Amino acid sequence: MIEGQAPDIGEMVLHHTADAWTIDLYPIGAIHLPRWADVHVGTLTLNLSPTKHVVYLALAALLVFLTMWLAGRSLRRQRAGEQSPKGFAAAIEGMVLFVRDDIAIANIGENGAKFAPFVMSLFFFILYSNLLGLLPWGASPTGNLAVTASLAILTFLTVEIGGMIQLGTRGYLGTIFPHVPGMHGPGAVAFSLFMAPVEILGKLVKPFALAVRLFGNMTAGHFVILSLFGIIFLFGDIQGWNWAIGGLTAVLVVGVMMLELIVAFLQAYVFALLSAVFIGMMQHEH
Amino acid sequence: MYLALLASSEGAAGAPMSPFEVNFGLFFWTWIVFGMLFLLLKKYAWPAILSMTEQREETIRRHLGEAEEAHAKAQALLAEQQKLLGESRTQAQAIMAEAKSAAEKERAVAVQKTREEQDQLLARARREIAAEGEKARQELRREAVDLSLAAASKLIGERLSADADKKIVLDYLASLEKSH
Repeated sequence: MIEGQAPDIGEMVLHHTADAWTIDLYPIGAIHLPRWADVHVGTLTLNLSPTKHVVYLALAALLVFLTMWLAGRSLRRQRAGEQSPKGFAAAIEGMVLFVRDDIAIANIGENGAKFAPFVMSLFFFILYSNLLGLLPWGASPTGNLAVTASLAILTFLTVEIGGMIQLGTRGYLGTIFPHVPGMHGPGAVAFSLFMAPVEILGKLVKPFALAVRLFGNMTAGHFVILSLFGIIFLFGDIQGWNWAIGGLTAVLVVGVMMLELIVAFLQAYVFALLSAVFIGMMQHEH
Repeated sequence: MYLALLASSEGAAGAPMSPFEVNFGLFFWTWIVFGMLFLLLKKYAWPAILSMTEQREETIRRHLGEAEEAHAKAQALLAEQQKLLGESRTQAQAIMAEAKSAAEKERAVAVQKTREEQDQLLARARREIAAEGEKARQELRREAVDLSLAAASKLIGERLSADADKKIVLDYLASLEKSH
């Protein structure tokens, strides 16, 4: 990086994990994304200029769509030829069916098939976003709190609106103002009112945990990898040891990368699974 | 949250961003990108991938329903058959019992009738025997009269007037009968 002076590893780590207005493709060059003026919505100031994470978000979506579309096309062709699915299409079908049957339907229940497209989209979108961060020049949009928060809000809305449709107005209000069986009269009303803030907090904590968990896992992984790379810059100029330090760091980074590969799948799984569990809990609330 | 907002406004101003800031513009982008992905996948990808499984599930569900229906039908049929069988069994038993009692009655009637006929026959036979006996006795008596008359006439050698003789013999015979 910066030669001749002590590198600021902390700054480097933050720089590489943070969102940016440019996509750094060093040493080929850099793409400067367009900057738009701020938009004021009420008291909130929004800047809708696309960032690096927006580009990778779109890239992840595009790749998910291409994967699924191609898999679907070849599955359709294989079935038309009376063949059993094979190769890439069979692998994708297996994964999609796993998400549909063992994550969505297994946790949501009889309405699982209705919510399955949401859970499947969520899983593969997060998975691809996670994996993009492991590529050279790549970035994980899921390492951005705004992205994970907006995905968690989608889950939150799905849970709550799905609950309203399934339970009806009365049933849904029962999830905010709980009724304890066997309690009657003003005592029950007072208890319901007392419990309402707790229930609302419970509803909000779930998506909050989803957002922070995904963000934390992805960011932490990048921190570890970048910090390990930092060892090279800190100690790489020790004469006679530079190859050893470089080699050791490379081995460590490969190890952590492997771990990150698992984490990328695991966190996509956890996000999709918990979304399905929350939807299912709401669907079966009585 | 407040710090993050602060960082966001700095980011918008062009300063280097931190990974911990929240750029609310990204909410908009994430929703747009995810929403488009969701709709496109739902329209172009999931049906192709899941069609087979969904068809299979539908078939299995239909087969299960049909099997259940068939099972219920079979159960109903079985119950009906068993009811019918039971009914016919009791009916057969009733018929048999009836037949047995009818036969018994018939036999009793026949026996009774036979006995009566026998008795009648016996009575008639007895009556006839008695009548025959009486007839024979009278015949014998007449024969005896005639014989004794013939013998007497031969013995005395003179013919008595038949009616007067007859009277004498008859009186004699009557006396004989009295003495017996």
